Amino acid sequence: MRRFNFRAYRVPGTNFPAAELDYGLLADRLRGDRLLIDAIAIVERNQLNQSASGRRYGELRLKMTNRVEVRPGQFAMLKPHADFEPLLRRAMAYYRCEDLADGLRVEFIYQILGRGTQSLSRLRPGDMVDLLGPLGNTYDTQPARGRRALLVAGGVGSAALYMLAENLRSEGVETRLFIGGASAGDLPGVDRFEELLGAENVICATIDGTRGTEGFVTEPLQDHLRSIEARGPIIYACGPDPMLHRVAQIAEKSETTTQLSLESPMACGFGICVGCAVAIKSDCPEGFVYGKVCTDGPVFRSEDLYWAE
Amino acid sequence: MTDGAVLHIEVAGIGFQNPVLTASGTCGYGLDMAELIDLNRLGGVCTKGLSARPMRGNAPWRIVETHGGMLNAIGLQNIGARAFIEDKLPRLRRYNTRIIPNVFGYTVDEYIEAVRILEDGDGIHGYELNISCPNVKAGGESFANDAHQAAEVTEAVKNATRRPVMVKLSPNVTDIAAIARAVESAGADALSLVNTAVGMSIDVETRRPRLANITGGLSGPAIKPIAVRCVFQVARAVKIPLVGIGGIATTEDALEFIIAGASAVQVGTASFYDPQAAMKIVDGLEAYCLRKGLDSIRDLVGAVRLDQDL
Repeated sequence: MRRFNFRAYRVPGTNFPAAELDYGLLADRLRGDRLLIDAIAIVERNQLNQSASGRRYGELRLKMTNRVEVRPGQFAMLKPHADFEPLLRRAMAYYRCEDLADGLRVEFIYQILGRGTQSLSRLRPGDMVDLLGPLGNTYDTQPARGRRALLVAGGVGSAALYMLAENLRSEGVETRLFIGGASAGDLPGVDRFEELLGAENVICATIDGTRGTEGFVTEPLQDHLRSIEARGPIIYACGPDPMLHRVAQIAEKSETTTQLSLESPMACGFGICVGCAVAIKSDCPEGFVYGKVCTDGPVFRSEDLYWAE
Repeated sequence: MTDGAVLHIEVAGIGFQNPVLTASGTCGYGLDMAELIDLNRLGGVCTKGLSARPMRGNAPWRIVETHGGMLNAIGLQNIGARAFIEDKLPRLRRYNTRIIPNVFGYTVDEYIEAVRILEDGDGIHGYELNISCPNVKAGGESFANDAHQAAEVTEAVKNATRRPVMVKLSPNVTDIAAIARAVESAGADALSLVNTAVGMSIDVETRRPRLANITGGLSGPAIKPIAVRCVFQVARAVKIPLVGIGGIATTEDALEFIIAGASAVQVGTASFYDPQAAMKIVDGLEAYCLRKGLDSIRDLVGAVRLDQDL
């Protein structure tokens, strides 16, 4: 068994300047073929934006000294290092990752809502961040081979789909994104998706009609599914629960294979708090059992989820 | 620095390599933590609460963060005692740590049923009884809130096993010392305290409780002073050893409980936001003993200095 040398890295207390801190690997462990690390990352950039609808977003770019493989759909638990309040780390889907000669650069997009995301919004370049990850499972791209992939994003849910889009493109899968938000400024990462997929493959929907069609993103998705024939596409979606539920209904009707990435409040992110319960279909009399979004997901096959009416 | 004998301590006849355990409900079945910490360096593991049969748990939302802590209403979701000894225990007992299943039920018979199943498992060092459940055969009040009922379930479980039994006390009582004395008289080998404090949080926009269960258990640093006070009071009321729980996140926190009268401590909510918390406390306690010139952490148990006699 491997001996963990996290004590060599973990610096107790907070009085150590970043330059003297050998930030990086604290504890690592092979999870099957996956490496999970509890590290301190350094903020490179934290860009804040406010949309016309008044919603506020942050784009956080971190650098870490560990090179660890991150798969599309996985997430990390983040918290400003050594902050007492808020107590719990926040679950964030990896948006983009870049291998560096001396480590890894990771990016996250978050909407500033509660105390956790507010504390993240106060991070400045050079600040330290506690990062536990990568956590959770990944999208299954096997069924996308020989089909077209439809990505459906609601708000900051787009972040969890970007690396998937990259992978699908590199696998030669024809990929189209449907992205929805309140207003033109509430479509995080949309420009980058257009760059990656081509503007003609990015379909926008906004509630106020300031970009793309007016209304929910599920409407152009439904129109598209009606318009196509032959072998059905595969849908990958991430966004608010009502959107995912609607996507699941549409998918069921059109018999489209669908994978949904769920969001849930979590205290730990690695399976011990059992706070992130999600109802999974089961043969038991009640028809469902509770699984965990963090370790059973966050990506689930649509047909496995039990939706309460 | 290695874990030396300075941290070795005996509680309820169980020898622990150090006095740092992970608290029930915050370390899964132990193995879940093995991905992040070296269980061989841990004093012991109190598992997620186990019942005779699996429990599905409450509907979401199950958790909400509050200032300095969190509320949870998981609903005791667990795989059941049988699945624990078949699927988890064989792997867990490979680690050099003490294994203490946490057990609960909604009637005295259910506690006994769960313990009888666990008696089949090898490598279990003792049991921790969660007595904060409602006793459905006695009006639904928690066992922990009534000295007679707390004693009744303790005695029943003691008669069902030869393994040591530690009873986990609730802080949601008027006189925790009275409950502690009753449980001691009923034969408990040790007490662990405290379980979560019942709390509630409301979303003022929707006017709905933030937890689907309406109320939940408050844990984390927010409850630490209450827990230290409980340990201090109970240490003066009973002779059996105590294991302190409640918002322990740092070495200093653990030391407070030990000085107040606890022979060991359990790290709970802190593991959620700092999985290394228990390991850091192990190292920190040893460093403290060295710095203070203590031969054993035992010398610190209940060593609080008071200017007045109580």
